[in-house]
Amino acid sequence: MRGRNRGPSPLPERAARLWRSLGAAFVILVFVPPLLLLVSGSLTEPGLPPSPTPQLVPDPVSTAGYERALDLGGLLRASLNSVLVAVVAVPLSVLVASLAGFALARLAPRTTAVVVAASLVALMVPPTALLVPRFAIFRFLGLTDTLVPLIAPALLGTSPLYVLVYYLAFRALPADLYDACQVEDLSPVRTWWQVALPLVRPVTAGLTALTFILTWSNFLDPLIYVYDRDLFTLPLALRSLSLLDPTNFPVFLAGAVIATLPALGVFVLAQRRFLHDHSDPRE
Amino acid sequence: MSEAGLVLDGVSAAYRTETVLHEVDLAVARGELLVVLGPSGAGKSTVLRVAAGLEPVTAGRVRIAGRDVTDQRPGLRNVSMVFQSYALFPHLTVAENIAFGLEVRDTPHRVARERARAAAETVGCAGLLDRRPGQLSGGERQRVALARALVREPDVFLLDEPLSNLDLALRVEMRAELRALHDRLGATMVHVTHDQTEALVLADRIAVLRDGRIEQVGTPEEIWRTPATVFVARFVGSPAMNLLPAGGPLQPAGDPPALPVEAQIGFRPEAVNLDTGHGAPAIVDRIEVVGEDAYVYLTLEGGKPVVARVPTTRRPDRGAAVRVGVRWTDTHVFDATSGRRLAP
Amino acid sequence: MSAGSEAGPRAPGTGAGSPAGPDARSRRQLALMLAPYLAGLVGLVLLPALVTLALAFTHYDLVRPPAWAGFDNFTALVEDPIFRIALTNTVVFAVVAVPLRVLLALGLALLLHRRTPGAGTARAAALLPTAVPEIAYGLLWLWLLNPLYGPINQVLRVGGENGLTALGRTPPQWLTDPTDARAAIILVSLFTMGETFVVLLAARRALPRDVYEMAAIEDATGWDVFRRITLPLMAPVLALLALRDAIASLHFTFVSAFVVTDGGPPPYATTYLSLFVYQTGFEYLRYGYAAAATLVMMVLTLAAVLVQWRLVRRYRRFYPR
Ligand SMILES: Nc1ncnc2c1ncn2[C@@H]1O[C@H](COP(=O)(O)OP(=O)(O)OP(=O)(O)O)[C@@H](O)[C@H]1O
Ligand SMILES: [Mg+2]
Repeated sequence: MRGRNRGPSPLPERAARLWRSLGAAFVILVFVPPLLLLVSGSLTEPGLPPSPTPQLVPDPVSTAGYERALDLGGLLRASLNSVLVAVVAVPLSVLVASLAGFALARLAPRTTAVVVAASLVALMVPPTALLVPRFAIFRFLGLTDTLVPLIAPALLGTSPLYVLVYYLAFRALPADLYDACQVEDLSPVRTWWQVALPLVRPVTAGLTALTFILTWSNFLDPLIYVYDRDLFTLPLALRSLSLLDPTNFPVFLAGAVIATLPALGVFVLAQRRFLHDHSDPRE
Repeated sequence: MSEAGLVLDGVSAAYRTETVLHEVDLAVARGELLVVLGPSGAGKSTVLRVAAGLEPVTAGRVRIAGRDVTDQRPGLRNVSMVFQSYALFPHLTVAENIAFGLEVRDTPHRVARERARAAAETVGCAGLLDRRPGQLSGGERQRVALARALVREPDVFLLDEPLSNLDLALRVEMRAELRALHDRLGATMVHVTHDQTEALVLADRIAVLRDGRIEQVGTPEEIWRTPATVFVARFVGSPAMNLLPAGGPLQPAGDPPALPVEAQIGFRPEAVNLDTGHGAPAIVDRIEVVGEDAYVYLTLEGGKPVVARVPTTRRPDRGAAVRVGVRWTDTHVFDATSGRRLAP
Repeated sequence: MSAGSEAGPRAPGTGAGSPAGPDARSRRQLALMLAPYLAGLVGLVLLPALVTLALAFTHYDLVRPPAWAGFDNFTALVEDPIFRIALTNTVVFAVVAVPLRVLLALGLALLLHRRTPGAGTARAAALLPTAVPEIAYGLLWLWLLNPLYGPINQVLRVGGENGLTALGRTPPQWLTDPTDARAAIILVSLFTMGETFVVLLAARRALPRDVYEMAAIEDATGWDVFRRITLPLMAPVLALLALRDAIASLHFTFVSAFVVTDGGPPPYATTYLSLFVYQTGFEYLRYGYAAAATLVMMVLTLAAVLVQWRLVRRYRRFYPR
């Protein structure tokens, strides 16, 4: 079946294609409007009585929501904190995950089995279930009300899942490749850096994007560990903004747009890697 | 020719914009085993896929058992196909795999199972009915795929290189079984292969395909003795037929036919005689010994290569000077520009 | 970390194809590479899980040291009406929303896995909500669902009079009526099944194409193909995803309940276990009690895992490789 990855189009398929396209259009019609409304809502003039009829384009279009969100909510400061956390945590997380994934792929099978099993167990534990004990531990270490607890999950590769993904990717590389590296007496670290990592670049790209989105959106951790307004990250600042005046939706929607844009940007950059038709594994 | 089982009438097919079949005309008689032979990428699989309706035609008609099926979907054409990769359903047992086609056509469960068992017995895999494809060897999978094709009584069987994944011994065995099966069932079969031996052994008739065009259709004997083009002549036979310009360094012995100016002569390696003492002088470049036979690679004066096949015991030494003799009766003549056969 | 001791004593080249580096230097390096992750795994997940176990049997308010409480917390939980509501809400949510989410993702994956006009855009669109930060997404729905001026009810009221829909019914009171609020939380969660969708998309694309062509030759129709081929071939992935989603559902109700409905409308219509744990621990500072509730949550997870495991096992018997 070499080289055959176009959709089959035997004759009666044409009608089916039409239906599929209609379905696709329907999906777009359902999933996109909420986000369009987010933008349109954020551009509404704050303080006006809500219009009785639905409006896709607000009248008048106003950026006052954004101005107020920025100075009322301290969103600038919060964005800086968020960026700081992301800049430290995302590379660290990807580094930890790829190192660990590589080590798992190369260590003796029994060691690997134990760690993989532990990772699977860890995956089964819902994050909310760890709130209380993690908090007790960080408090014991005197690290609450700092940004450290927000960066700490990077040690876990953000999610054990990502370590496992790296593990599978490295394991899928041909065994000959590792043998060749051993013959050349490359150390594991150099094998990882010079041979293995370049070969799984798409995985790295995808996981970096996911890690960024998760880190950037992290709401629960800051909610619990950070009380100092100066340390608020964007999601937390957004929440206090919404508490300030829950009826003034253009202001907090503007804040939501600001918080969403970087994550969406990264998503759009990354999505072609895992959504594209080329990713068809039947080559 | 008797009643037609499958007819391709000026069929063209394309992947996106690239045309891969060019107005192919092919008629398979009912009960005939036709082998489609050609090099990789010639469009052999495409011929089958068009016949099965998995690929649309861009021109021409497809007829099966007298019905025009060009616009019918695959399921209505009443064909069975054995895929190159077998396409067994990994989650179903052998029995369920074989019965699949019957069950989706609402054949009662018991009847379907009974016929599946019968089909499995025909191809000798009745002992595997409860296994899954993952637990079978390549040869066993092939039998199951075949049984799945046999369980219905389709108008045409389409077999896409069903033997290519097997080792040589198994391939030879299955080849014979396939032929015997065909004779027993009297079924219409189109069998695709790129293996010339398989084609010569198996076929009632062979269609040689090249770049999406039919070069020649004929019995194995016709293909071997009177190849219609230079391509067919060189594709069938190993080592390939020698080709030289007609007026060149080597002149066959005997009465020459009337030749146009631009002609090529061709002769098989086994037609070359190195013992006559006359003929064109040549130097032995290298020798390959394959058991009883030795292939002698020679260079004529003027630099043209020639291959001879001689008994191993009578092979010349490397570097020796020999004389290459051929007779006109063993020689094929082709038009130098079109590559078509001129004589005899 | 313990990695050194785990990898250390292993004999070099254990068996054919053993990927273990043959020399001690390599093994030491590999152990070091694994060490940070192991530290994280133990320090951030496994240890906290154990701490939960311990705290659940104490009274603890962060100020005084934990005091042994025996099974007090658990007996209190059993009698706590709020906890019972939260537990019911959580289970009901998982039972309703998880199948819906997986079915939706499956439907989308089957609809959009091919190259058809619009499919690429639709795939991206279906994933978009998953990329939006939870809190921003929650705030968006807080506004969308507002019974008075939210766009959803505005649309529902088009054509009606006096704040009624065109059919003369009152539009849903999303944030003030208990049933409507629960429905709203499920609705909100349906939009974020992106990850499940991506995995199913990949799984569907990985299915061998010739098998489908075979089915076409046998004239299997759409429903037959789905029931006899697609579904059984994807079942293992589906089971795993459902399990993952069931576990995640304990968590992803948190932000919507916290921001959109604030656990209400009264009495506690959308208080889920996650919210209950958060409020008990961090608003009422009853950490021991919260830990006990957490433990219940983990037991629930375990139950979900076991149930699914049995299902997968049963499936495995049909599908050995
Ligand atoms: N999906 C496709 N998209 C574009 N071109 C294709 C596709 N499938 C096949 N082709 C081209 O069509 C031509 C014929 O392909 P086909 O598969 O029929 O060859 P074949 O004779 O069966 O070869 P083989 O012996 O290698 O199986 C080839 O040139 C091939 O590159
Ligand atoms: Mg082929």
